[in-house]
Amino acid sequence: MLVVRRRAGEAIIIAGDVEVEIIEITRTRVKLGITAPREVTVTRREAVAVALENHTAAALVASGTLETDLLGLFAKVSGKIAKSAPKAADM
Amino acid sequence: MTSVSVGPAVMKTPHLGEISWDAESELFLPSGLPGFENERHMIPVEIPAHRPLVFLQSTERSGVCFVSLPVMTICPDFKLQLTEDERESLMLRETGNPEIGADVLCLVLLFPSGGTVEANLDAPVVINLHNSRCLQALSPGAARGYYRLSEAGTWENVC
Repeated sequence: MLVVRRRAGEAIIIAGDVEVEIIEITRTRVKLGITAPREVTVTRREAVAVALENHTAAALVASGTLETDLLGLFAKVSGKIAKSAPKAADM
Repeated sequence: MTSVSVGPAVMKTPHLGEISWDAESELFLPSGLPGFENERHMIPVEIPAHRPLVFLQSTERSGVCFVSLPVMTICPDFKLQLTEDERESLMLRETGNPEIGADVLCLVLLFPSGGTVEANLDAPVVINLHNSRCLQALSPGAARGYYRLSEAGTWENVC
């Protein structure tokens, strides 16, 4: 891993056209400004796993799994939820 | 000046059939959802027979639809945690965490897992009730983990 020390206002360049600037440093956080070509995707690390889950989630409806296997199960859950359900507004 | 009345938008979807909605029911996702960064507009659809499920249907691509549940139907003592950036993106005015039901709606997406479904409670979809802005919150400090729907119809914390 390359480790570079930078101060607020300084920047690094990656692959010639991606610039990462240190905008602000506080006691617990660093604010970064990233300038990159449109085709470069910039993602927080914690979003990568969630992106995979979301693709799987979209397949739940698209594959028909919901209708064939799961609606009966949800009906069972709804019966249980109905006894202690929060109001619709509590979503 | 002539006023033009705009009727509801209509879309034919493969999963929910033909749906129509008014502009004010549309959610705006400034950054989309992780993995679906270009889906900036969605509508929440409730089907009475399938309550409390909430379908999140993209208004840009008819084939993109998620199934979700209000987070508190899975975990009644759920506490929402948002980062400063997430609060800014939702344009939440007050400091401190917003109240679920009064300020925000909080849904979790369901994904298939071995004949049943799971939900990641550390990645709730949060909707600002005051302006319909929406995002998927990914607070690094949150640790509710995953819940799986059991055959008995109860939710079990799996990690």
